[in-house]
Amino acid sequence: MKKIISLSINGDQYEVLVSPNQTLLEVLRDQLGLMGTKRGCDLGACGACTVLINGEAYLSCIMLAMDGVGKEIQTIEGLTQTRELHPLQEAFVKEGGIQCGFCTPGMIMTAQAILNEAEKPSEETIKRKMAGNLCRCTGYKKIVTAVMSAAGQAGEEV
Amino acid sequence: MEKELNIVGKRVPMHDGVAKARGTAQFTDDLVFPGMLYGKILRSPLPHARIIHIDTAKARKLSGVKGVVTGQDIPDRQYGIVPKARDEYALAKGKVRYIGDDVAAVCAVDLEAAEEAVSLIKVEYEELPAVYDPLDSIKEGAPVIHEGVDHNTSMSIRKEFGDVKKAFAESDHIFEDTFYSQAVNHAPMEPHAAVAQYDHLGEHFTVYSSTQIPYFLRRNLASTLMVPESKVRIIKPKVGGGFGQKIDMFAKDFCAAWFARETGRAVKFVYERDELFISTRQRHPMYITVRTGMKKDGTILAQQFKAHADGGAYNSTAPTMIALSCYFLMIPYRVPNLIYEGHHVYTNKPVGGAMRGHGIPQARFAVERQLDLIAQRIGIDPVELRVKNSIQAGEPHPAKFIINTCGFSDCLKQAAEAIGWKEKRGKLPKGRGVGIAGASFPSGVSNMSHISSGSVVQIGQDGAVNVLSGAADIGQGAETVIAQIVAEVLGVTMEDVRITAADTGTCPMDPGTFGSGVTVRAGNAARLAAEEARKKLFKYVAKHLDVERDDLAVKDRFIYLKSSPGKGMSFKDALKGYQYADLPMPIVGRASWFAPSTEPTTLFKDDGNFAPNYSFMAQAAEVDVDLETGQIKLLKMVTAHDCGRAINPMLVEGQLEGSVVGGMGQALYENVIVEKGQVMNPSFLDYGFPTFLEMPEIGAIEVETDDPIGPFGAKEAGEGTQLSPAPAIVNAIYDAIGVDFKELPVTPEKILEVLEKGGGK
Amino acid sequence: MKLPKFKYLEPTSMKEALSLLGKEGSAKILAGGTDLLVNMKHKIEVPSVLVNIKRIEGLDYVKIEDGAVRIGALTSLNKISQNPFLKEKVPALTQAAVKVGSYHHQSMGTIGGNICQQNRCKFYNQSEWWRSTNGPCLKVGGNICHVVGKKGACYSTYCGDVAPALLALEARIVLQNKKGLKESSLESLFSGKGLAPLKIKAGDILTEIIIPETSLQGRSSYRKFANRESIDFPIVGLALWVSPEKKEYRAAFTAVDRRPLRAKAVETFLNQKDLTEERIEEAGALASKGAQLVKTSLYTTAYKKKMMGILLKQALKETTRGYRS
Repeated sequence: MKKIISLSINGDQYEVLVSPNQTLLEVLRDQLGLMGTKRGCDLGACGACTVLINGEAYLSCIMLAMDGVGKEIQTIEGLTQTRELHPLQEAFVKEGGIQCGFCTPGMIMTAQAILNEAEKPSEETIKRKMAGNLCRCTGYKKIVTAVMSAAGQAGEEV
Repeated sequence: MEKELNIVGKRVPMHDGVAKARGTAQFTDDLVFPGMLYGKILRSPLPHARIIHIDTAKARKLSGVKGVVTGQDIPDRQYGIVPKARDEYALAKGKVRYIGDDVAAVCAVDLEAAEEAVSLIKVEYEELPAVYDPLDSIKEGAPVIHEGVDHNTSMSIRKEFGDVKKAFAESDHIFEDTFYSQAVNHAPMEPHAAVAQYDHLGEHFTVYSSTQIPYFLRRNLASTLMVPESKVRIIKPKVGGGFGQKIDMFAKDFCAAWFARETGRAVKFVYERDELFISTRQRHPMYITVRTGMKKDGTILAQQFKAHADGGAYNSTAPTMIALSCYFLMIPYRVPNLIYEGHHVYTNKPVGGAMRGHGIPQARFAVERQLDLIAQRIGIDPVELRVKNSIQAGEPHPAKFIINTCGFSDCLKQAAEAIGWKEKRGKLPKGRGVGIAGASFPSGVSNMSHISSGSVVQIGQDGAVNVLSGAADIGQGAETVIAQIVAEVLGVTMEDVRITAADTGTCPMDPGTFGSGVTVRAGNAARLAAEEARKKLFKYVAKHLDVERDDLAVKDRFIYLKSSPGKGMSFKDALKGYQYADLPMPIVGRASWFAPSTEPTTLFKDDGNFAPNYSFMAQAAEVDVDLETGQIKLLKMVTAHDCGRAINPMLVEGQLEGSVVGGMGQALYENVIVEKGQVMNPSFLDYGFPTFLEMPEIGAIEVETDDPIGPFGAKEAGEGTQLSPAPAIVNAIYDAIGVDFKELPVTPEKILEVLEKGGGK
Repeated sequence: MKLPKFKYLEPTSMKEALSLLGKEGSAKILAGGTDLLVNMKHKIEVPSVLVNIKRIEGLDYVKIEDGAVRIGALTSLNKISQNPFLKEKVPALTQAAVKVGSYHHQSMGTIGGNICQQNRCKFYNQSEWWRSTNGPCLKVGGNICHVVGKKGACYSTYCGDVAPALLALEARIVLQNKKGLKESSLESLFSGKGLAPLKIKAGDILTEIIIPETSLQGRSSYRKFANRESIDFPIVGLALWVSPEKKEYRAAFTAVDRRPLRAKAVETFLNQKDLTEERIEEAGALASKGAQLVKTSLYTTAYKKKMMGILLKQALKETTRGYRS
């Protein structure tokens, strides 16, 4: 039985008609047109679907949309809503941390969650916390450089 | 060649990097059309069976279902990227040949209904005996997988160069070893997807597909749908990685188009992750036996190869794979006498197809491992042995390759030095070791019938440049590189250039992203088209300024006299003047580029130059083997790469770094595990390719050789580096623990087993 | 992959939750969802009723009461792994929590959920279509175990990281139902049977985990041996707790049996005696005693057996550094 729920996404309030068996990823993409969050495996093993729930990194493909009620949801579309890029986005572009771009939104959101926890995370912490985000193109090196750079640790050897 | 360059050779960010970082870059699954339907495919649960009956009644009746199709409903047309190897139907006809084979498809108003409908289709099968190992498959009496194909061998190649018998007779040493390279899945992050629309008035299809080969896809789709090619338009949105897995038409393309025509609505198919592991493509597992004849000083006199490739249930790119595997044994080392016997064998398993390196990584593993084995046996340093046998630019080649530039020995020396070879090889404590391996790769294949690329460059009234190219950017940055080339030629900025690419309805043809040919082929086409446009503009400027056209150059949007650089006119003024003076139209340059070759050749008939140019690379690896647990850590890998000249060093580094980790995965982490025809690990969880935490330290060294054929001297950079990291790592494991592995992957379990039996130094 | 349909209930109080669970016999509890929802997509767990307990207040805490640590079952693994007191006093638990899956799983996942995760098997954790090749196995209502090719018993393996750490810490659990609270050992929660791995009745909720005071006075660690350093389930996981003063040793393994397992043979051998290099070796040889290793994963039982010994020895050596004779 479908139900109307209220979701707060990127600072906007959405009233959506959902079935309990819909994941947050489905609602974001199929109902709200927020296509930035990607579906890489649909089983929580690759991080492409990462969104922030109250600032923490969650896998939206294994989360019920219903569980999003009452939380602050942030997707890649919410990182910047102006012409200016978020520092993480700038860094990813500048450092070449993007190739095909499919893992990118998930990578950036996870990086944001890490920065939400600590201002200047160590390289070791960044790698450990991003290890749930898979990438097949870059070999990860330039992504680490980008996150370190955005965190204000440019120049540290990767 | 050109000396001072403005944009080529610079670390320019990807032209669509911002869109990707904002999440606005559109991949196929991001496309939504009004009234769009969703499709799902029913797959065979059996490895080998005759299809007796398919009952779709319940599926058709399910609320929300708009169409059901089976192999019986579709034309009798097989498809395949290589004409002589077409053996697959879009949906199986008569029988299924592997677990995962496409049997039927449905489309419905939502995914839920589509999934349910698929589960309601009942198929009656008559199970047939199945065969899983190619060495069993070729035997007399093995189950016949494709009628009319003897010994289940769909493709064989036997090539001889020189006089191998004589060379072996003259050899001081003869060594023979057998190697095995495993099934690897590309695992691109974006699942395969297609969205199709059909226009009933014009009777034409528009298909958005996550593909590497828009033009081949058009051909295959038109052929299997039995419509003229002109009625099919393929548009490639952003593609989230391919690595070769998206080279081929798939059921999702055909069925989306089919249903679009049947229903009149847009239809979307997106594969699930396990479908990618089971029902798309994988790297061919291969058994390779190498026999090498050598002088006692280490000079290679002859090599003889026998290879069996496990093709799985269908051909896909079999002929190309086998040919590449063969021809690329004659480079980067001098092998004056060679026999290659290769067989592509069917088994009732997932299908082998093109995967980064396409048959060469397997061969490279065999050759590079054996070189190290030989180095041990005859007491020569592995780097020395390789440098000694290294090809040099300009030498005559047994298969008639034209090698204008070759930085291979430099790559070997620099990689070895960067890893600290002299200080480390044979000298590190037990458990630590270094290894080296090398390879070469073509920048696209010329030697494969008509492989050419076209481009149109238009300079608009306001100075903006619009480029049409067939190049299929799948994340490697092809569009960015082409934009750089055009911007360089026209003296404008990256922001002035916009690329429209890989739309078969509007862009000139390009074969696609495979064989690492895009930069050279599409890059050259774009360069020539830009030069033609520039020529037209310069003709006007020369007349206007009353100077010789040859004296003109352009940089930073300013057209100036080479003889007197301060004099000239701005790009903008030149354009304006051009339009008022004569033709008030955009300036258009168009060109196509086809690799120069002395004779047209096809892979199986004659020899000739295989590719416009060849890249060379060497990797040196340092590993740490935990002697207690067997775990192997790749500490560092240095890759030295001769890609001629890097059009964009940052993008080239990206390719090298990604290839190193891909090669590491092949060596240590990845294996498509199949039991009785069933893929046991079809998930990101169980098919464990490297994460951030497995990342080694990566060093990329660019060895510049400035090739005469490549645009601005460039050669390929996208595939070559994934050819030899695996043997470099396994060679390093030998140095670390004194154990020779001849099979991939090398896992902690295997290491422990060997160490326990007392193996190793 | 769509989740199957279910009746969804979202109680906002314990009372409401217990009442609902009491009524709906075949309801499943939804906590973090990282295990259950994946299984539901695979259609190996298809509850007709799902009770989401995350709206219940008062189950998310880490507190000290009378010297013992009490952790609410809905406390996230992330929170646990970062708690300074827990890191200092019971590192086995925090080390286990930080090794579960990936960073995301630790944000989403709860300690209760992780303890109660479903058992695993390479024939079981697959999509519905994939499983149609072999037909249903015992665990999904069929009548054969595909691993051993026989009827009789299900050999699915327990693979959670947190449970062995808690076993080594001799943790206790609190189960609540309509009738009240019941405290018991964590060990008693596990049936040792692949079909129904947890001895939890319909209507029960795991609400609290208690680590006794005595366990805080020891040295502990958790070692996870897996293919990769993130995302993966353990090939073998080992938690070790040692009290050097009392010469008391507790070792618990995961991914080696139908339930997480205290290595009783090892403990009996080591307890009350001095630890020497030889004794560590001998203990290593006893590591797999009592574990019923069955090849339910991609790794051989021989390899798991080997790794059990190796991990135990490594853990013993490291945890007892500085006072070994």
